[in-house]
Amino acid sequence: MIEKIKALKGQGKPVIGCFPLYPPLELFHSLGLNPVVLWRLKGEGGQTGESDRHLQNYTCSVARHMTEFLLSEESGAFLDGIFMYNACDTLRNMPEIIEGGLETAGRSVPFFNIHIPMVPPAQTDGDEYLKNEVNRLIEELEACFDRKFDSVAFQNSVAQFKRLRMLYLQAEAAVANGGIGFREFAGVFRKAAGMPVEQQQGILEPLLSQYAENSKNQDKAGIILSGILPPPDAMVEAMESSGLRIVGNDIAALHRSYADMPQPGAEPAAYYRDFYFNHYPCPTLLYSGDRRVQALLERCQQTGAKGVVFIGEKFCEYEYFEFPYLEKKLGGQGVQTLLLELAVDDEDHSAAHGARIEAFAEMLSTS
Amino acid sequence: MSEANKTDAGRHLSKIMQNAYMDLHTRAKEGAFVVWIAINVPAELFYGFENLVYAVPESHAAMNAGKGVGAVQCEKAERIGYSMDLCSYARIDIGCAADGGRDSPSFGLPKPNLLVSNNNNCSLLVKWFDVHHREMGVPHFIIDVPFCYGPQKEKDRNYIIRQFYDLIQTIEDLSGQRFDWDKARQALDYTNRGIVHWKRFLSHARHRPSGITAFDSFVQMAPFLIMRGTPEFEAHYKLLADETEQRVKAGDFPVPDERYRLFWDNIAPWHQLRDMSSNLADSGANIIGATYTSCIGTVEGSFDMYPYDGRDPMRYLARTQNCYICPHGMGLRRRAMRQAVETLGIDGIVFASNRSCKPYSVTQMDQQKFMSEHLGIPSVMVDVDHADVRKYSKESTFTRLEALLEMIDAKRAA
Repeated sequence: MIEKIKALKGQGKPVIGCFPLYPPLELFHSLGLNPVVLWRLKGEGGQTGESDRHLQNYTCSVARHMTEFLLSEESGAFLDGIFMYNACDTLRNMPEIIEGGLETAGRSVPFFNIHIPMVPPAQTDGDEYLKNEVNRLIEELEACFDRKFDSVAFQNSVAQFKRLRMLYLQAEAAVANGGIGFREFAGVFRKAAGMPVEQQQGILEPLLSQYAENSKNQDKAGIILSGILPPPDAMVEAMESSGLRIVGNDIAALHRSYADMPQPGAEPAAYYRDFYFNHYPCPTLLYSGDRRVQALLERCQQTGAKGVVFIGEKFCEYEYFEFPYLEKKLGGQGVQTLLLELAVDDEDHSAAHGARIEAFAEMLSTS
Repeated sequence: MSEANKTDAGRHLSKIMQNAYMDLHTRAKEGAFVVWIAINVPAELFYGFENLVYAVPESHAAMNAGKGVGAVQCEKAERIGYSMDLCSYARIDIGCAADGGRDSPSFGLPKPNLLVSNNNNCSLLVKWFDVHHREMGVPHFIIDVPFCYGPQKEKDRNYIIRQFYDLIQTIEDLSGQRFDWDKARQALDYTNRGIVHWKRFLSHARHRPSGITAFDSFVQMAPFLIMRGTPEFEAHYKLLADETEQRVKAGDFPVPDERYRLFWDNIAPWHQLRDMSSNLADSGANIIGATYTSCIGTVEGSFDMYPYDGRDPMRYLARTQNCYICPHGMGLRRRAMRQAVETLGIDGIVFASNRSCKPYSVTQMDQQKFMSEHLGIPSVMVDVDHADVRKYSKESTFTRLEALLEMIDAKRAA
């Protein structure tokens, strides 16, 4: 990620780091900023020494690696701003921890923050509140970066991100019918993450043009992966070599991020109203809870998946509160489930899950 | 503690708590509209309805833990798939509900007609109540309170107020009852007057030796959680404050040979109150205050009382939504803790790092550093879980507490 951010800096546009996963990317892009979603930062040195001075070891790996990334001289120093919206109980405390850590290091970065209404739209009208938050963010960005919001530029940015989301959905469809392996797909996603939207399109388009609809491996049992992060390659390899075919995903960094197709428009508040309130369900968007079970069941039906593998991010309470009920409902529809847990250091040892994955594959093949 | 050893307020607490749970079950059985709420949902509003009772799963979970059945209830939730890493209050509540209230000192809680959660103390409460929403098929109202890094903003207050109005409308629609503003105002008056007495009770910690222990205050919080808005609430805290005042005047102190005045940061370790209290007292140490109990009736960034002015109840209730420690940021927490440390003459701080409550715990490492570097206050971090005794090590905790007392001694000797 750091090399990508350095490259972005070289383009002369301010770089704004964003967390968690669903920031208003189109808005930043339209203002001539390079937004980078700060997620899945493991691997940027791998250690959490700096983070460990601020966070207990029972915070999730996302928070720990992100803190490490932002406070390290090597990586955090290249950001011109940091944006966050409300997500979980851990992340909401991050701004002050990061600001304090930067201050100790003699650095500072402007922080931007908005609150996404978490009320179900049918219960309370959060439109006006969200509109004010979006407009306030625009004003703060304009003042900080000496930019002026332009509705035509915004519409162009909206179109660019819509195109990107469609490409991801096409690639995902190619994964579902066996034309592209999930590992390859996830690899492309990793490569594209952090790049400007135009470059991301440039990575996905050749992949899709090379792919031939060959419907490979249709005899293998289809599964859907669910979680907040894609599983490590070794785990995917274990699944694919066990006779499983990944036909879809319900991963926050993947499908939940690009499945949404908000109505294009020139007015940011209206656009983000649609974006957030009709967003593909995610446990972090509290108002989407009622739609979540149904969405996952529908994905299983659409893809013919016989199983769902939950990639549990240890200490992500949002996800863990939902697993038992999801397992029960999926089981009621004849969909088998497997829960694998990954902690901050587990990614390098994920092959240890191999035996459970093999057993799960055997169960699906005989069911 | 046996009844004979209890104070008058202690005995009165047992009685009113027992009555409250009995009344809850009785009225629910007789057809009252039952609401389950997160602890800081504005309960006073419910008194605007003629026939409504509310239950507080968090408080019920704390009671289970305090009575020694927290781990039993947690295991029930774990057996149906809930991770041991989840909040122990949630596991107790889910486990207890799944088992029909068995093993609970109050026989569980009556089935709700409505669930009202919020995300100010913790967002996971919404996920927790979603579990009941899905399993029981009961409507779930979510109050969204924006987290604040500075004093609560007007835009956020207005947004919260709008939700309170929607809550009233929702209850009217579901229960068929009409809301009465005068009754809600009266309830808020009871709460306000009760909190005045609560603050009076806590103020006896300023005395040397302290007139109270934080452990007393933890136990005495219960009416705040389940009886706000009632005359019994006001009467109980008046009794508590008056009795404490008399004890101080009479020279009757919980730790007479108090040599170490300590401050606690986090939720109470419900399963260890008596043990921890008596062991510390043996060393001449008293935890005399806590962020957990000091924040009641305040606004974010201060432990001073924020009184109800008798005017718009919605504004007051909305204004106090960020007062609990978790719904506001580290800078505000720091300001309030600093004020308490200076006011109470604190010698050392116990940061209870609580795996079951990440929102309370996640800033503690920076807080500890600040208190040490800027105020010169010795402190330790101990690992606790507020309700799951399986995640607590007495030996480890007391080794650290002893180290804290040694640090205080060393500082005094320097």
